[in-house]
Formats: sequence, structure tokens, C-alpha cells
Amino acid sequence: MLLNIDQNRFLKPWLVLSFLMLITACENSSSSRPSGHVTDFSQHYPASNGGMLVDAMTGEPSGLIAMIAGESAASAIAGNIFNSLLKYDKNLDLTGELAKSWDISSDQRTITFHLKPQLKWADNQPLTSDDVLFTWQKVTDEKTRTPYGSDFKLVIKAETPDANTFKVTYAVPYAPALDTWAGLHILPKHLLKDQDINTTAFSRNPVGSHYYKLDRWKNGQYLKLTRNNNATQGQARIDSLLSRIIPDKASQFLELSADNIDSMGLNPIQYARIFPARPDLNHHIALYKELGNSYTYMGFNLKRKPFDDIRVRQAINYAIDKQEIIDGVLLGLGEPVASPYKPGTRWSNPALKPYPYDPNKARDLLKAAGYVDHDGDGILDKDGKPFSFEILTNQNKEREMTAVLIQRRLKDIGINANIRVLEWASFLGRFIKPKAFDVVVLGWGLSLDPDQYSIWHSSQQAPGQFNFIGYSNPQADKLLEAGRIELDPEKRMKIYHEFSKILLDDSPVVYLSAGYGLSAIHKRISGISNPAPPAGIGHNTYEWYIPKAYARNEINEQ
Amino acid sequence: MITMRRHPLAMIGFIIIASILLLALIAPWIAPYDPDAINVKAILLAPSHMHLMGTDGLGRDVFSRMLYGSRISLLVGFVAVGIATIIGIILGAIAGFYRGWVDTLIMRIVDIMLSIPTFFLILAVIAFLTPSIWNIMIVIGLTSWMGVTRLVRAEFLSLRQREFVLAAQALGAKDRRLIFTHLLPNSLTPIIVSSILGIASAVLVESGLSFLGLGVQAPQASWGNILTDGKEYIQFAWWLSLFPGLAILITVLGYNLLGDGLRDAYNPRSSQH
Repeated sequence: MLLNIDQNRFLKPWLVLSFLMLITACENSSSSRPSGHVTDFSQHYPASNGGMLVDAMTGEPSGLIAMIAGESAASAIAGNIFNSLLKYDKNLDLTGELAKSWDISSDQRTITFHLKPQLKWADNQPLTSDDVLFTWQKVTDEKTRTPYGSDFKLVIKAETPDANTFKVTYAVPYAPALDTWAGLHILPKHLLKDQDINTTAFSRNPVGSHYYKLDRWKNGQYLKLTRNNNATQGQARIDSLLSRIIPDKASQFLELSADNIDSMGLNPIQYARIFPARPDLNHHIALYKELGNSYTYMGFNLKRKPFDDIRVRQAINYAIDKQEIIDGVLLGLGEPVASPYKPGTRWSNPALKPYPYDPNKARDLLKAAGYVDHDGDGILDKDGKPFSFEILTNQNKEREMTAVLIQRRLKDIGINANIRVLEWASFLGRFIKPKAFDVVVLGWGLSLDPDQYSIWHSSQQAPGQFNFIGYSNPQADKLLEAGRIELDPEKRMKIYHEFSKILLDDSPVVYLSAGYGLSAIHKRISGISNPAPPAGIGHNTYEWYIPKAYARNEINEQ
Repeated sequence: MITMRRHPLAMIGFIIIASILLLALIAPWIAPYDPDAINVKAILLAPSHMHLMGTDGLGRDVFSRMLYGSRISLLVGFVAVGIATIIGIILGAIAGFYRGWVDTLIMRIVDIMLSIPTFFLILAVIAFLTPSIWNIMIVIGLTSWMGVTRLVRAEFLSLRQREFVLAAQALGAKDRRLIFTHLLPNSLTPIIVSSILGIASAVLVESGLSFLGLGVQAPQASWGNILTDGKEYIQFAWWLSLFPGLAILITVLGYNLLGDGLRDAYNPRSSQH
């Protein structure tokens, strides 16, 4: 029997007594648990229903209509309340969610979705193709303030031949189409038809069709979801989900240690340094590590001198030691990247390698571009002006540390970089949208479809659009356009491999690393797939369960 | 100095401040490492004979960073208080000497400034400007002159009624001569005392701003931002929080002891017992 004793309390004599009593209780293997302090979580119990899972999120959602709210906190909660037509299974293949099946016409322009029969909303109203059509109308409506409209505006005709059939037609074949339908939460027409979707009270009091429904939303404190008895996908095992709002990772960690939350995302320090030093935590908390679908990069403002010169960009790429960033900032919990796709997936070109750390090559390239230290002050200069610029990033500990490492390496080859750290809203509003920056350190979180037209195509440079670094290469444009209309996966893969190669040679961004997603989950939560399948450990949360013997005695809602 | 010896607390304060000043001055010669030298192979090492105060999240030597950080903290203290004192003396002297509507106007401005919570004003201004050490010094200086103004005005008001000032005036001394040779030198003691106490609060404000990420920018070290770096690691890398915290505490305590001691030493009523 393992013992988990809070060390501070152990020092107090009156608690030592109760400690002894606990040991006795355990030796008798008494079936009634005396307290939460002593539990063996290695035992296996069969799946059962009930219980509550408590997790923590850093931000509060602004609303639960994901297409309006836009932030990750909203999507995370709304994903338990609303369904999409399609979803990704554990191997990241598309499968039906509300749709039972779908057909693609021979000219590849029309998709027909067949809904599952007898679908119902949580308020007992029937869910039909009318709701799907209504959702499509809303997401493409000019009055709807959503960044996700452009994908759906490519649909030239949407029809509902009957209550269980939804048919969309595109002007030209659109390869990411199915992926976009897997990301659109279907909304109830009967509750929203007379409402302004941007401001409706529905977003704080939603009615969906998925496993859970919103029970209580306490501002600034928590959101509680409970079982939806009409769930279209069957019943989840855990009765309710409580998401507490705890803005600070260190505070979340204290709550995890005190057993007030069951799961949280860890930072590398917590994962690699604190956990190994705390055997008491390892006894009841399990750690999971999986490569996320995102990467960190340093992007150049290609419209500004000298970053329009490919030699300067390549030189800076050679001058940055990526492994040092992975070791120093991520404590080794990351992978180098050479393309904007998740390493190890089919879209990632295995032939590409990141620019190696080679300061001499960097100096040669800068010399070729005209940068030499004429005045001997240690800083390269050209036309009498020293090579100096500003690295901009947002308030994110890991990005700040990355910027400091980059600054140091650039100084080695004679480039003077200053760091400026900004709060997210002013970072976007004052610098990214008007493109008033030299160099940014940022990250991209990506969808599963390889189409990155909106990030790299030369047409996507208007303020607020995603190609804010101003990348423009006719060859890359052509490939991005071709990739969008190619439905054959093999041919599509070749297109994106070629595109990645051009992108790496052009070096409009310096790929820094792809970090692992690190999570800690209390061992009372059972049924988690380990090792994680390609879709990650979260793919089957509806199958997770909490054995009665491990359940919390009481949940304090304050 | 002779009066101060009879005040052991003031003496302790003086010794603390003098030693910190000395350490800051000779930092380049005694720092064992380059304060910005990164070493990802030596991240978060506990204090040892290699690294007296351990290393931080990027493997930089905390002792070296503390030494260089002391320069920032002290510089900010002196310059900010210098600015505040100059503004305070000018406005206080004008108000106290000329009285009348000028006095009323200046004192109402002081009241307005005092009614604004200074730290939040500084936060707002710094968030709008680029955070940098010079901006911080100027902003702290521009928001903390009110105390000195009141002090100087009060001194001037009472000194103006003294016989030696009236005598000088009767002998035909000009305003400038009255202010600079009679009034100002005689009100220096309280100004010095309040400046020393002001340095202590400026050091705290700078640490607070750096702690919030609006102070001295990376990679430059200041006690405040070493402390912020330590926040994330506090559960197992105590040295990152303890040493800068202690340094701030001791410095502020030193200035306060020195300031209080000086006030007692020069105040005839309190030095009698």
C-alpha cells in the first residue's frame, strides 16, 4: 500500500495520531475509505457511470457559440455541448457525428450529408437538416462577426431535400471542405432564428445536442456541465464536468497538488522539474505527453528592409540554435520543425531538415548582403547604419525566454536585437494588424487539413488577415491554389511537400520548435488511452470514468 | 557624522547603503560571470560554490545578475528622486515664498496629484510608452514630487517669519538672495531626509513595475525582474525568489533607517531623550 501524506501536516502531533489510525485502517483493508489521504490508485475497476471531473482553464469564455467567441476556452467548453456534422476519430480519419454518412458527387463539387435518424436537441425539439442549413446561413451572413466565414462562403448552393439530408455545392472542388464541416458546431434554429447571433443571450445559456448541457455558469469562477439525456452520440460515463477558471498556471498547480482539480495542462518546468521531485504527486497523478498540432516561429516583416533580402533571412536562420531553444525553454520537451506541418504526419516532408546552427555561414551570407562591421564596434553595418531591429512578442514566458536566446545568438554574429514584450490585445491591435513590426516571435496552432492558404498566400495580406508577414511567392501561391482543389490524398501530399520545400528555402520565418502538449490527470480518472492514439488522449473523454471507490467525497462549489 | 554616531540605527542604515553602493560600483570586477551569459546546460542549479546564488531558467548566474541588477535599482532610485526633489524644491519655494494665488494654485495641483493613486498612474503611462529604464525614472520622478513641495513650502512659510530673514529683507536683500542664501540652506535637512525615504519607495516602485513586466526589459537584470522569473519556479527554485526579495528588503530597510535616523539626529526635540 502506498502512502500519500502531506508533509507539513505530518509535523503536527495531533495529526500524527490520525496518521497512525489511517495505517491501521488500511491494514485491515477496510472497504470504507477513511479519508482521501490514503488510496491506492493502481487497482483496476470496471467502467461505471457517475462522478464529476474538475479541470482548470486559464481564461473565461466570452460566450459558448464557438464561431462568435473564437477563443480556445470557448471552443473547449462548447465542444462538449454542440455537435458537428463530422468528427475526427482516434486515428484522425473523418467519420460521421450528426451525419450517418456522406456522398461526394462525381464532379467532386457536391457533398450530400445524411443525418442520423431521430436526432434531438437537449430541450426535446427535433434536430433536422433545417438546423444545419440555418447554421450555414449564419456563419456566412455578413452581419455575423466570425473569422470562420470564408471557408463556408465557397459554398454556392446549400439545400435540404428532406429533414435528414443536407446538400452543399461548391463552384470548384474544395479539398478542405469536409474538414471545415467537422469544425462547425450546428446551432438550434428554433431558439436562434429571431435573435442577433452576435449578442444573443443564448451564448451564455446554450442548448446543444452533445454529451453535456450547461448547468451553471458562475462568472469568473466556473462553468458546470451536466449530462444531456438526449445526447445524439450516446451517453458519456462521467455525470458532470466542472471547469474552474484559474488564470495562473502556478495557482492551478497548487490546486492540482491539493486535489481540488483533476486535470490541467502543465508547462515544461512543472512536467520535467517539479513532478520528478515530488513522489507524493506521482502517486495519484499521471502525466501524459503528446506532440501538439502547433509550432513556434520567428517571422520577418518581409515588407521591411533588410528582411526583403533572402540572404539576410537565411543568415539569421543559420545563426539561431534551435536545439538550444528546445533544451533551454522547453527542457527538451519539443521537436525541431522544418515545415509548417506536424512532424511525423503525412503532410510533413521527411526530406526537409531545419537550417543547422552555423554562425560562420551566417556571417558569410551577411557579408554577401553587404553587412560588414566597418567601424569596429562589434555591430555589423551597411551604408553607415548598424544592423539593429526589434523582436516583438506577447506576454508568454516561453516566448520571452526564446527571444532572449535569439537575441544572444544574434549578438554573436554582430546583430543588435532589442526585445519588446506586449500584452496580447495591444500586440495584435497596434503592431500585427498595421504590420508595424520588424520581427515577431509567435506560434501557429493548426487544423488537421494541410490547407494553409490563409497564412501563406499572397492575397491574404489585408489588415487582420493571417499573412501579416507579407509572404509572396508566385510558385508557392500556385501550389497553395492547387492543393485546395486536389482531392486525391497522394497528389495532395506531393503538392504540400513541394510547397514546404519552397517555404524552407525562402525562409520567411525561422521555424523554432514544436512543443509537446503536457497534461496531468488524476489517477481516479480511468479509461484513458495510453499510449495516446494520433488524435491524442482527449479523443474518448466520453469513455473516461471514475470508479466509485475513487470518487471525491464531496465537491465544494465555492 | 558626529551626531549620527549617537544613533546606531542610522549608522546601520548608512553602512547598508554604503555597502550596496560599493557592490554596485565594483560589480564588473567582482561578478564571477557575464550577467547575460546563457547556458542551457546549467538551468536552475541550486546555490553552490560555482554559483553563489544558483542559476535561473536560462542558466544565467543569479549572483552576477543581482550585482548588475543593484546598479539598475540604485540608479532608478537616485535619478527618480533627483527629478522629484528638483521639481519639489522649485514649486515649494515659489509657493512658500510668494504665497497668494501662486501658492493656492500650486497647492491645488499638489492635491490633485495626491488624489491619484500613483502606482496605477505610473502603470498606465508606462503601458502607453515603451517600457525602458529611462522612462521609468522619469515617470516615477514626475509622480512623486508632491511630498517635497509641501515640505519646502512649509519650511519657507515658517522661515520667512524668522528674524534673520526679516533682517536680511530690511537690509534690502533681493528675492533671489533671500531664497538661495537664507531660506533654502536652512530647509535642506528635511529635504534630504524625505529624499532618502523617497529613494526607498522608488526602489520599491521599480521592483514592482519590473515584476509586472513593465519595468526594465530583458535581458537586462533588475531585482524586480529576477523576482518575476522566480515566481514560476518558486516551488523548487527558492533561490530565484529569496535573494532578490532579500536584496529589496535590505535596501529599502537601509534607506528607511538612514532617513529616520537623520531626522531624529537633526530634530532637537527627539534627540533629547
